[in-house]
Amino acid sequence: MFLYPISLIGLLLLSCILQQFLPAVSAWYDARLLILPLVVLCGSATVSTAGMLTLAFLGGFLWDAQQVLLVDQGDEVVYHSTTDSLKFGYSIILYTMMGFLMQGIRPVFQAGKWYLSAALTGVGIFLYLFVEYLLRGFIIGGFSLDNGMIEQIGATSVLTMLASPLVFWLLFRIADLCGHTISYQKH
Amino acid sequence: MKPLNFVALLLFFAGLVWVFTLSESAVRQIQKTFYSAISPIISKGGESEAFANDFVKEVEHSIDLEEKLKQATSERDRFRLIAARAWTLEAENNELRAALDFTKKTKFDVVPARVVRRQPQMWGKTIEINRGSEKGLVNSMCVLASNGGLVGRIQLAGNEVSSVLLITDEVSQVSARVEGSTEVGIIVGRRTTYGEAPRLRLRYISKNAILRKGMKVFTDGRGDLFPADIPIGTIEDFEVGAVDGEAEIIPSVDFTNLQTVFVIADSSGD
Repeated sequence: MFLYPISLIGLLLLSCILQQFLPAVSAWYDARLLILPLVVLCGSATVSTAGMLTLAFLGGFLWDAQQVLLVDQGDEVVYHSTTDSLKFGYSIILYTMMGFLMQGIRPVFQAGKWYLSAALTGVGIFLYLFVEYLLRGFIIGGFSLDNGMIEQIGATSVLTMLASPLVFWLLFRIADLCGHTISYQKH
Repeated sequence: MKPLNFVALLLFFAGLVWVFTLSESAVRQIQKTFYSAISPIISKGGESEAFANDFVKEVEHSIDLEEKLKQATSERDRFRLIAARAWTLEAENNELRAALDFTKKTKFDVVPARVVRRQPQMWGKTIEINRGSEKGLVNSMCVLASNGGLVGRIQLAGNEVSSVLLITDEVSQVSARVEGSTEVGIIVGRRTTYGEAPRLRLRYISKNAILRKGMKVFTDGRGDLFPADIPIGTIEDFEVGAVDGEAEIIPSVDFTNLQTVFVIADSSGD
């Protein structure tokens, strides 16, 4: 019963390691393949709400452990205007929202239309990055929205979405090995 | 709602409360543990990044090379490869020579380090270097380039690798002065998108300041974070706002080609 969720957590840890090997594609808008968020998104479509929450929590925790910048503030007299960065844990909330988004079309996914879920991962990643960018702008100050930023987010979303069939295939294989039923009706 | 989901939701909220109430030191400890655990992977990841960049460059040059290759003999190709290798070695030699020269000249006690990864984050502007707490590096140590320019400071020191927050990041702040004037202000990074050259802003300077393009900006040593008199950049533009003035600064460091950096282990200059 718990073999598949445990394997999913193992896959999440593996994706965290793999993420370190995936640089930005400088030739294409500095796009990145965000494999860790992708595993959370794809995994969310294959498990119950409880599993999704666990996945989102662990994924967000791992993501923030490597992404959140904690900066030592100097003397307050000189550095009177402190610069805050995003709070550790914010990704957990964003991942949970994305997870609920994926769960929203789970019936369609269970009906065999996995490609809709794959497309939704692209939308999910786009929303995630966009909200993250807005939050960063809101906390640090100085909101600006230019084409370059939209292109970078868009390219990252597309690149990540293109990898989603592979992750889904992997999840189906793991589910088969674990004897877990994703309720995918093969036609 | 299913009982399992209800329990999961309760546990999730409990976890969320725990995470959001973590102290800064606890978060640092979590990040340090995580960073130390993935240190060996980061070094390997840096190698794959370098390989990917080389590959992209090769692809970009392949169209030009295609025409030339048609006419080139295998002997010429061989010599070209040797020449390419020689150029790489020459560039590397120059870099190392500059590094060695810098180590001799600088008044600081510095720890040289290689950049193993550039821009590992989506938004934050950081680099990762192959020296960590095992070499005595700790958080907030100042990092310089081989030309003596300010790169940033250590944001997170792992055992074998460290993350450096560049001065071009928006959350970075450096207390600075303008050479040849009494103006002091705070340097912050300016938000840029891909392909855009990194720029800095010198904030909180007097609106009546007499600043010209090309004037040099240095650290002023106030605020406990950076030693004084480290070059930051040159003034490109000066804008007068309602309350104070702000200047656009071109950094003195070429952040896109950083290979070797120097961490100031002792800034006393003894």
